[in-house]
Amino acid sequence: MSILYDEGQLAIAAESRRILEARVSTEALLPLLEVQDRIHDPFWDLAREQGWTGVALPERYGGLGLGLTELGLIALQAGRSLSGAPFLTASYGAARALLDHGSDALKNEWLPQFASGAAIGAVAFAEGQEVIGQGVTFDRGSLSGKKSAVAGGTRADVAIVTASDGGEAVLALAPITGSRRDALESFDNSRCYADIGFSGTPAVELARGAAAEKAALHILAAQSVVAAHEQAGGAERLLEIGRDYALTRRAFGQPIGGFQSVKHRLAEMYAQVELSRAGAAHAASREDEADFIIAAAAARIQATEAYDGCARDCVQIHGGIGVTWEAGLHLHMRRARSLAIEQGNLFFWEDVLVDRLREQRR
Amino acid sequence: MNDIEAYRRKARNWLESVAPRYGRSAREGLSEKEDLALGRAYLKERHAAGYAGINWPVDYGGQGLGHIEKVAFDTEEMQFGMPTAYFGISLGMPVPVLMRFCEDKQWVRERVLKALTGEEIWCQLFSEPAAGSDLAGLRTRAEPDGNGWKINGQKVWTSWAQCSDYGVIVVRTDPTVPKHKGLTYFWVDMKAPGVTVRPIKLAGGDSHVNEVFFDDVKISDDHRMSPVGGGFAVAMATLMIERYVATDSAGFGPHLDLFVDLAKEVQLNGRPAIEDGRIRQQIARNYAMRSALDAITTRAMRMMQAGMEPGPEGSLNKLVSVRSRQKLSELAIDLQGAGGLAFDARAPVKQDWGVSWINAPTGRIAGGADEMLLNTIAEKILGLPQDHRPDKGVPFNQIPA
Repeated sequence: MSILYDEGQLAIAAESRRILEARVSTEALLPLLEVQDRIHDPFWDLAREQGWTGVALPERYGGLGLGLTELGLIALQAGRSLSGAPFLTASYGAARALLDHGSDALKNEWLPQFASGAAIGAVAFAEGQEVIGQGVTFDRGSLSGKKSAVAGGTRADVAIVTASDGGEAVLALAPITGSRRDALESFDNSRCYADIGFSGTPAVELARGAAAEKAALHILAAQSVVAAHEQAGGAERLLEIGRDYALTRRAFGQPIGGFQSVKHRLAEMYAQVELSRAGAAHAASREDEADFIIAAAAARIQATEAYDGCARDCVQIHGGIGVTWEAGLHLHMRRARSLAIEQGNLFFWEDVLVDRLREQRR
Repeated sequence: MNDIEAYRRKARNWLESVAPRYGRSAREGLSEKEDLALGRAYLKERHAAGYAGINWPVDYGGQGLGHIEKVAFDTEEMQFGMPTAYFGISLGMPVPVLMRFCEDKQWVRERVLKALTGEEIWCQLFSEPAAGSDLAGLRTRAEPDGNGWKINGQKVWTSWAQCSDYGVIVVRTDPTVPKHKGLTYFWVDMKAPGVTVRPIKLAGGDSHVNEVFFDDVKISDDHRMSPVGGGFAVAMATLMIERYVATDSAGFGPHLDLFVDLAKEVQLNGRPAIEDGRIRQQIARNYAMRSALDAITTRAMRMMQAGMEPGPEGSLNKLVSVRSRQKLSELAIDLQGAGGLAFDARAPVKQDWGVSWINAPTGRIAGGADEMLLNTIAEKILGLPQDHRPDKGVPFNQIPA
């Protein structure tokens, strides 16, 4: 796999961007902040209608048979437009778990539904501050305990769960339509976060012991690469918004973009955007390679820094108008933070990365 | 892609075969004079092996290959610490410019061959005490003198002028027109009467840059490489000629691996420093940034292979990597506590944190200061307005000094 996109990949990027820009608006996204468990339906309809839900799934299960690079490109465009639902990432993570560790029966049951978007998958790993928690117990095919702030949790049909069976790690799949779900009031409500409670919930074991731990990290890394594209897309959009504003807003007799304090801020944003895009593209191209976890961690760290930084700076360039509800820049501020946490925060990925770099220098 | 990988492997084999005689270990303890002599010998052997002028026309004694082969070779060569620094500017800018803008082809062929084999060195006489980032504000002047010209003034920061045989120079030939329009481009003989080279000792202790004084230096008109008043365009072409250069995400300082090694070795609060969160964060963030720079470089290489023009994001490399090198070098010194005070000014910059640190500011200034790079990104890539320039359109001799 190369990090140089081919024509087909560029077409996917251009087409998804075109459609998203035509159908998604800031005005439609703002009200979603003030209610729980609401997504931007036109976004999700589009994702299903365009086959984005199945882009990286095998054709045998109704997918398009493409990979993380293509899903990443769509995620980048979705990030530009503040994707109105969190399901592309989590459903891919759930599908990844099944593809790598599921029985044929499970794959046949769930993958076609993920590919069409008829069912939504969630990845429920976090418990409080633990990014991959094992506080939920797995005992003879049933789960008990609680997972925190699962993205897409209010809407998901099935979850991939990390648990412990007498101290041994287990990766399990559990349908959660009947489980207790407490929607979380968050600063980014359209992510549909929910705490999920399991009490003797029937679950299927996918992996156990070291294999389960490795699988969980791999799933999180794959989701992180999708998220990194989304973050890079958000950062890219903020750079454009900031640049456009700096060209039109005038002060002291000239466009504010003529002042070095603003120009240099924008040039630094450009650096962050390009670094995060390149890091994400590189990581996507390494999915099946030995250094995937390292590449994913690096992409994730770079993208989190880029999106946070661009959100900060774009608002700053706007001055007063930037902090209004209506201008909507806070949508990006919020999304930068929610994405920064969703697939493991910076501390987590920094540790993952440094542990591996340390290992490499033995 | 296989072709370029094969080329790279072959180059690496050759480099490995000569490294014992020319590489880092062979250079240890040499005086600068001895090191320069070793460099000339290396260039001669490199030329014989077919790795000189890789992307230059065959007609001029080059290999006639692409930028990609050159970048591949340079990237490999960089790992070995060969004594090439003396020839970097010479082969990077003045000689390519000669091939492009000099009329006397036979004479140019001779110069190219001697430059490629290390027999002759060229320098670039651009910056002046009052003209750094603002190159067009230069004051060294050339006045008509019989059939030729007479040069008076001073250049500064001229790399390797002390061992140069020739130089390319931009001078003011008309102070009564706006600054960009009164410049002319020449080549000069650095051994000519009236040329005085005075080395400048830099903060790190070495003296590879110089002041160069011109006192009534006479040159004939066939030294002229631009139309009279058309020198600025050739100067810009000189600076643009090295668009495809080997980059280093370590900012031409030590690789991050060496920092990881250090952090494993050094103790902080009774445990290896690599277990300390402050150190871990720096390693992680620097790795993320540097690997993204590497990805940008890899993509640019792939684009060149595919016959496409690489994107402008390649210009980020110097800006981002040297800053990172500077801070990481400071941190590496800190990390060693009192041990970090030891300093060996002659240690190799890619191996030694102290030398990397003391010389890092040069990297952020030479060849385009960070602020100029940010301006270029803002103006050329993002389309933001040019800075306010009060001297725009004003005749040079009416600009307040």
